[in-house]
Amino acid sequence: MERKYVITIGRQLGSGGRIIGEKLASKLGISFYDKELIQIASQESGLGREFFERADEKRPYSVFGGLFSLRGTIAEEPFSTYYLNNETLFKIQSDVIRRLAEKSSCLFVGRCADYVLSGHPFMLNVFITADLDDRVKRISEREKLTPAKARDYIEKADKKRAAYYNYFSSKPWGMADSYHLCINSSWLGLEATVESICSFASKRFGL
Amino acid sequence: MEPQGSHLALGTENIRKLLLQYAIPSVIAMTAASLYNIIDSIFIGQGVGALAISGLAITFPLMNLAAAFGSLVGVGASALMSLRLGQKDYDSANAILGNVLVLNLILGSLYSLVVLLFLDPILYFFGASHDTLPYAHDFMVIITLANPVTHMYFGLNALMRASGNPVRSMNATIISVIINIVLAPLFIFVFHWGIRGAALATVIAQTSMMLWQLLYFTDRKRYIHIRGETFRLQYRIVKDSMSIGLAPFLMNMTSSAIVIIINQSLIRHGGDLAVGAYGIINRIAALFVMIVLGLNQGMQPIAGYNYGARQYDRVTSVLKFTVFLASGVMTLGFLLCELFPHAVASVFTTNRELIDIAAHGLRIVMLVFPIVGFQMVASTFFQSIGMAGKAIFMSLTRQVLFLLPGLLIFPPLLGVKGVWISMPVADTLASIVAVYMLTVQYRKSILRQKINEAKV
Repeated sequence: MERKYVITIGRQLGSGGRIIGEKLASKLGISFYDKELIQIASQESGLGREFFERADEKRPYSVFGGLFSLRGTIAEEPFSTYYLNNETLFKIQSDVIRRLAEKSSCLFVGRCADYVLSGHPFMLNVFITADLDDRVKRISEREKLTPAKARDYIEKADKKRAAYYNYFSSKPWGMADSYHLCINSSWLGLEATVESICSFASKRFGL
Repeated sequence: MEPQGSHLALGTENIRKLLLQYAIPSVIAMTAASLYNIIDSIFIGQGVGALAISGLAITFPLMNLAAAFGSLVGVGASALMSLRLGQKDYDSANAILGNVLVLNLILGSLYSLVVLLFLDPILYFFGASHDTLPYAHDFMVIITLANPVTHMYFGLNALMRASGNPVRSMNATIISVIINIVLAPLFIFVFHWGIRGAALATVIAQTSMMLWQLLYFTDRKRYIHIRGETFRLQYRIVKDSMSIGLAPFLMNMTSSAIVIIINQSLIRHGGDLAVGAYGIINRIAALFVMIVLGLNQGMQPIAGYNYGARQYDRVTSVLKFTVFLASGVMTLGFLLCELFPHAVASVFTTNRELIDIAAHGLRIVMLVFPIVGFQMVASTFFQSIGMAGKAIFMSLTRQVLFLLPGLLIFPPLLGVKGVWISMPVADTLASIVAVYMLTVQYRKSILRQKINEAKV
């Protein structure tokens, strides 16, 4: 009986993180979860998937936005919270991640999976970056945007991801400290990056 | 902490059973908290005198303000705490506990310092007269000195609930009420310490419960316990919890400001006894309002889950059942105050004049209470299905949009009666808004349900 291992991938927008994750997972023959998590979380909890989508990797609140989302309570209502708040949804999603990781070896992209599974004995946490030019190119092709708009879009999306990660995991997003391997996909290209992560993982997990 | 599988129960279990199961603990806690205030007022009114009741009423906004600062830290910190515990991240949870204690100590002490420095000017501004000031002053000096302890007590209590021990938190509330009921009459009637005795009883009750909760959190065997190194404030914990706490903080500030305006208006048009009468009316009205707030808390997760699971018929039935219970509670208050207003008021005082003013006011203020229950439930309902903007709007309409103009228009024309009248007027208008908003929302969900059914 081989032991189950987990690979988590954090990534900058446009760094090719999802593609790398997909290729890596199929190369290793393990399950791959990115947005798929939302569907599973929705099915298991019975809650509509639009609630998970709305909360997905978004900044949970801003100081000003907090005023209009009233996450806490009015006056003397010490117990009340909005049931479908981002924290509850995150908890449901985390439980799904933990259960999937228990069932089989798998690879998660985003959703603070590294934090959710912290303490897992066979886990590799990867963070993928890329040169800004490559990211702009990839995003402007994928989203059909002008390079300037794509740059703007990337900046905003990364800010959101960072706020989401920092809030829910209490670790700084994208800092080398939070991961085992940080890699710039522009350096070797996607294929060779997959190869490198694969050999890195193989050494650790004895594959 | 929600037990595993509770999602499913929320979606399948009998609605009435669910509501009672979720609402009863919070109804008990709410009732205990408001009984605490009522009993304090009764001892002060009966043991110290009619003017002391007025002095006490002057201090309400200051107490609200202290609670506002408490919620600035407590609400957000407990949200963060449950988030961390949900991930079994005990290190971060411990850091939150340490930070909350330090933050409460700092904020609580700053608040005490500022209030004590300017106590008399503040009380005069809030509507004190030369006759009532000594009472308000004596009461507030003791309460304010103990404010850091009070802050820590409420902070710890909130974390206790968040850390999966709501029963101990509820017990603390109930025990502190009992300590107060035993000590207050002893200090007032036996030792003749006057209004200071009432304040002291409150402070002793809260201090001992704070220590009791502290005892729990210092037990090193627990996952969550106090460690020296967690006292250092972390920017992110402070920022996150305060951003979450800002909305409840501002809501509390608003209600505090409204009470100041009411007291100012009463002192101008009716004098000290009118202020005291409001003190009595406020305590009685709060009892029924708090019970409904307890029901609302029970409704929230049930309405929230089923809305998310698109089970709109269950959402509707929990809303209906909550409105039914809330209206029942409010109607009970209405009947009690309309039929026996003098009997109700004389529980607090033996002063004939004060009883008459309070009874007269009680009848007017409670006039539309049977429909207020609906308005309150509707407002929380919007919050529980994630439409916090609408919930805030409804809460603000009642407190500010309708009440404030009334308080400015009616009293100059009708005197004290005008102050009383502006409340049922605001309640009626707010209820009309609630009916309108709920009807619109209901039509929308029906529509959405039909679309969903068509898709399937």
